[in-house]
Amino acid sequence: MPDCSENYENEISEGHNVRSIKCKFCNSIILKPSVASFTTVQFQLPLMKQTGGTNHPETEELSLFWMVTDMLMFENVGFSNTVGNNKYLTCADCEAGPIGYYDLSSKKSYVALSRVKHC
Amino acid sequence: MAKTYDYLFKLLLIGDSGVGKTCVLFRFSEDAFNTTFISTIGIDFKIRTIDLDGKKIKLQIWDTAGQERFRTITTAYYRGAMGIMLVYDITNEKSFENIKNWIRNIEENASSDVEKMLLGNKCELEEKRQVSKERGEQLAVEYGIKFIETSAKASIRVEEAFFTLARDIKAKMEKKLVSHVYNDCF
Repeated sequence: MPDCSENYENEISEGHNVRSIKCKFCNSIILKPSVASFTTVQFQLPLMKQTGGTNHPETEELSLFWMVTDMLMFENVGFSNTVGNNKYLTCADCEAGPIGYYDLSSKKSYVALSRVKHC
Repeated sequence: MAKTYDYLFKLLLIGDSGVGKTCVLFRFSEDAFNTTFISTIGIDFKIRTIDLDGKKIKLQIWDTAGQERFRTITTAYYRGAMGIMLVYDITNEKSFENIKNWIRNIEENASSDVEKMLLGNKCELEEKRQVSKERGEQLAVEYGIKFIETSAKASIRVEEAFFTLARDIKAKMEKKLVSHVYNDCF
């Protein structure tokens, strides 16, 4: 197994991702090295595993994200239908998600560091 | 930032509801995650990157889920589409019969040079088969399009189908490019 570090400091070099960003569950490649920019922004991202209904999804506040300015910078990714001003991002292969969100007004995509692996 | 790909192809998955188009959307992981949250909202489209004869190709793939009936799929939906994967379920006779209606809808609404391919999908067991492979092949011949039978669980065939469609679009584009150059020169 490759070393999939949780120590994010080593994952960032000159503001970009050092290693590939992959799905935690099926290893599908989401972003190639150096493509995304590290950014901090507060966002309430719904949990991957919900216990209740989806009308009021349980969320957690995340602040560490990989950002891309163009959706075509992704290798493989799924975009959910629109909810408010966002689309949620998923793994293209196993559809695990949300791994992040897409902002319709800025057209920027944000992938949460804690929802993916780096290897 | 410099463009990181050579081509961008917009593809549509079209067919009756329940033919497993969603599982054709490259969903071939054995232990599909399928959280209630994402599956309730639904997937709009996917971006996939493939390597074809040394060229990096981005596929943007839309599923028609949620607007299934031909009447609701109009010109706007087909706009910009370069390839259409027509999907039926081999265990559902009706979904196969409707392929003809889908093709008529495409002819009325989509660009005439859109690349099409017929895909017989098998999400369930062979014992439930209602449409033989031969009938699928025959229909494809009738319309002059390619045909493949896949199982969403057998990832290779699904991938092969998308590669084939992408390769045909690429060949068509390059041919067009060459003829333009030729016309400009003479």
